[in-house]
Amino acid sequence: MPLFWVALAVAILAPCASFLLLAVSPRLFSQGGQWFTLTYLRQVFTGYTATALVNSIWVSVVACVCGTCIGGAIAWSVSRTTLPGRRFIPATMWLALLLPSWLPSLGWVELFQNGGVLQRAGIDLPWLTHFILGPGGVVLVLGLRCVPFAFLAITAALVGLGQEFDDAARVHGATRSQAMRLIIPIIAPAIWSALAIGFAESVSDFGVAATLGTTANFPLATYSLYNQINAFPPSFPGAAAMGWLLVLSVALPLGLQTRALRGKSYSVLSGRTRQAVRRRLSWPGLVGALGGISIFYLVALGVPAIGALMGSLVSERGSSISLNLVNYQQVFHNGELFDPLVRSGRYAAITASITVVAGFIAARLLTKVRTKAVRMLDFLLLAAVAIPSVLFAAGYIFTYNLPIMSTLGINLYQTQTLLVIAYAASSLPLNARVLVGSVSQLQPSLMDAGRAHGAGPIRAWLRGIFPVMSKPLLVAWLLTFTGVFLELPISQLLYAPSNPPVAVAIESNLGNYHFGLGLAQAVTAVVCAFIVVGGVLGIYRVLAPRGWRRLGEASHR
Amino acid sequence: MTKIYPGGNRGLDEFSLSVDTGDFLVLLGPSGSGKTTLLRCLAGIERVSAGTISLGENIVATSSRHLPPERRDLGMVFQDYALWPHLTVRDNVAFGLRRRGLARDARRSGAGDVLARVGLGHLQDRFPSQLSGGEQQRVALARALAGRTGLILFDEPLSNLDANLRERLRIEISELVRESGATAVYITHDQAEAFALADRVGVLQGGRLLQVGAPEDIYGDPATRFVARFTGLAGEFPARVLGPSDARGQVEVQITDLPMARPMHARVMAGTDGGRDVVVAIRPAAISLCAYDADAHHVTGTVVDVAFRDRGYEHAIDLPGHPRLTGVLHHTRFDRGATVGLHFGAQHCLVFPPEETGSSLSSDAAVAHGVPV
Repeated sequence: MPLFWVALAVAILAPCASFLLLAVSPRLFSQGGQWFTLTYLRQVFTGYTATALVNSIWVSVVACVCGTCIGGAIAWSVSRTTLPGRRFIPATMWLALLLPSWLPSLGWVELFQNGGVLQRAGIDLPWLTHFILGPGGVVLVLGLRCVPFAFLAITAALVGLGQEFDDAARVHGATRSQAMRLIIPIIAPAIWSALAIGFAESVSDFGVAATLGTTANFPLATYSLYNQINAFPPSFPGAAAMGWLLVLSVALPLGLQTRALRGKSYSVLSGRTRQAVRRRLSWPGLVGALGGISIFYLVALGVPAIGALMGSLVSERGSSISLNLVNYQQVFHNGELFDPLVRSGRYAAITASITVVAGFIAARLLTKVRTKAVRMLDFLLLAAVAIPSVLFAAGYIFTYNLPIMSTLGINLYQTQTLLVIAYAASSLPLNARVLVGSVSQLQPSLMDAGRAHGAGPIRAWLRGIFPVMSKPLLVAWLLTFTGVFLELPISQLLYAPSNPPVAVAIESNLGNYHFGLGLAQAVTAVVCAFIVVGGVLGIYRVLAPRGWRRLGEASHR
Repeated sequence: MTKIYPGGNRGLDEFSLSVDTGDFLVLLGPSGSGKTTLLRCLAGIERVSAGTISLGENIVATSSRHLPPERRDLGMVFQDYALWPHLTVRDNVAFGLRRRGLARDARRSGAGDVLARVGLGHLQDRFPSQLSGGEQQRVALARALAGRTGLILFDEPLSNLDANLRERLRIEISELVRESGATAVYITHDQAEAFALADRVGVLQGGRLLQVGAPEDIYGDPATRFVARFTGLAGEFPARVLGPSDARGQVEVQITDLPMARPMHARVMAGTDGGRDVVVAIRPAAISLCAYDADAHHVTGTVVDVAFRDRGYEHAIDLPGHPRLTGVLHHTRFDRGATVGLHFGAQHCLVFPPEETGSSLSSDAAVAHGVPV
């Protein structure tokens, strides 16, 4: 167990803490003359960085509010109405969640940019192009990105909100709309969560900032941090100062959410909670709901998917729109284009395996008695969620580039090992949170029963705990795999020279105006990710004993 | 009225009942008997499939017409209280006054008055989560009382509370509801609670009303074996009638395959057609325990369990070749394994036909009481 703590300290705490410390004490790391200064923090509030910061904040506010409204409306339709096809919506929301933000962003760019699909097809919509390739497009993509978070948070709350609260209101004189107004505040925790997560996700997003943001000449905070590190010479203290503000921007809404809910209990679930009644939609209601949700899918997934697909199917050169598979042929026959896919698959598999084990250990610790050490772990993991990936990667670059690391014999900078460690460390907090729910439901007696009946600790774990945890562990593995496979900011900043992961290779192709090749790589990567997810789930379904699969399933009457 | 759920399950089957103004009616039945469905139909939360519900002179539900809950002018206490967690105690109760069209201040002061009546005047600014289960239940009661509606519905309101609190709150509910003059329809599966609260008790089974009447009538003259069983039996035995009934409606019976020192007497219940093979249902109150060699006993049995109760000792007794008798109270303790004599008083030994009958009351009998609900 001490090893676990050391690993956490080295992988999460040290890089982030030292990088953030750098902003106020550059001399501590031989990056300047002052032991303590606020100069770099002040500089953030001037010029380009100030614009980027303000842009990030207002865009994130609008995105999280819009995303929560849309996600909430879809959640209500799915949970409380007889909307046709409602069973498929949660799965597609998870799908949207798995896709990194840079993918839809690329799709939009490819559709609307100069020489893009629309222009080549002879469709000229200057006002729409102006909107998409500007703040409007950034808000749109980030807002749509917030929808799945809001949908999942609000759906979970609505599931727990029994019919009796609505009935009680109606019986005591409230009309249908008054009853709705009365019970919406009961799901306030979910609404606050959706807003806070939406804001945090938007403000710390790098994918949109690096693609649509740069194309639109609309600077955002995360990209400005990246620029400071990528500049020559890099300004680490300046990047660290921006990092502080990013962390504050993420932590502030999360803190406000906690404060808003402090002292109030909204627990509404009990053993006798009556399942909510679905409202039969009237014809206009049905048309409105189906139309609205279809538009959401069209805009969130359809249009960017078409953009990316079309972009990958048109030739690199020329202005015609004739479709062919030349780009895909190149991706599959040119090692330079195909190797990043294999490489990212390898990184993702290794990272997911490490993270699932570490996440399980962390989850076990979090569900034990709340000692000081456990509280510290809880805080560390929670704080790590609030650290944007780009800052995380910057911390790694800075820390593992320090002369002291060479002195200590740690020469990990610009190696694949460091990249995998960074992937694992950044995935761990979320992974632990995903697993903590299932682990907290584990009865200690499962293990004890095995031991009492003659099994050693390993056999008792394999026979008693592993079957129960197999599905949550598999889900956590897949979540990490897809996240890392398509990850951009850490990859961009930490990849080992001449070993680019797929997201970096795509970015590099796009940056060099090889749009068709880049998009063909992107489409192939997404298809590969889905094949892995489908394949692994399929293998589990076929190979896992029936009893394992039955756990957690609902019975059919 | 009839209520058929999607899928064909009949929640209520040709159910007919009326309740007098100011009456406290308790509906008693096991899970799935239709109690909650009836209450939800009365409240307007469920629609009826056929038939009519009237509140006073107003028809509020038919198969084609459904007055929404908010226009039925009633109050309701929910099983899980259904207090809105984001509103204070005062605001929860004041909600019940909105339909009276009062200003906010008047609503709040009205809520304060009702809360004072239920003993929660000092907790008005708290949130529901800051109250104990009993206090939450009082808030739910206050909310239902606050609107001063003519009808208050109770959906097993005491089922989540411990025995001591349940008894205290039962008395409070009885007192406050009667004081308000409202008509009450209260559902429960607890026979003791039903008998203690009700002016009249209705017993339901399978969506049908089997019997309705004063608690004493239900206990003394149950219409069916099910009603007898659900209102408390020590045991049921196949028996043979040995002769014609006397002027008091009692017959001499012999329990089948059980050695009896002498035949016992039992009352013949309605529906028993004079056949010789019957079932005799024995209330705990019918049984007196004595030493096995005493002259007065009818049968002997073996004590298999004894439990201390505040009014004596409750025994479970095995009779050879028959299901055991339970709930047999005696002021002194007979130890486990002891052989005892049992004497059966005729008043609470009830003779039923051998086949279980589950038919509901005829409509005429059921609506004999006053104004429809």
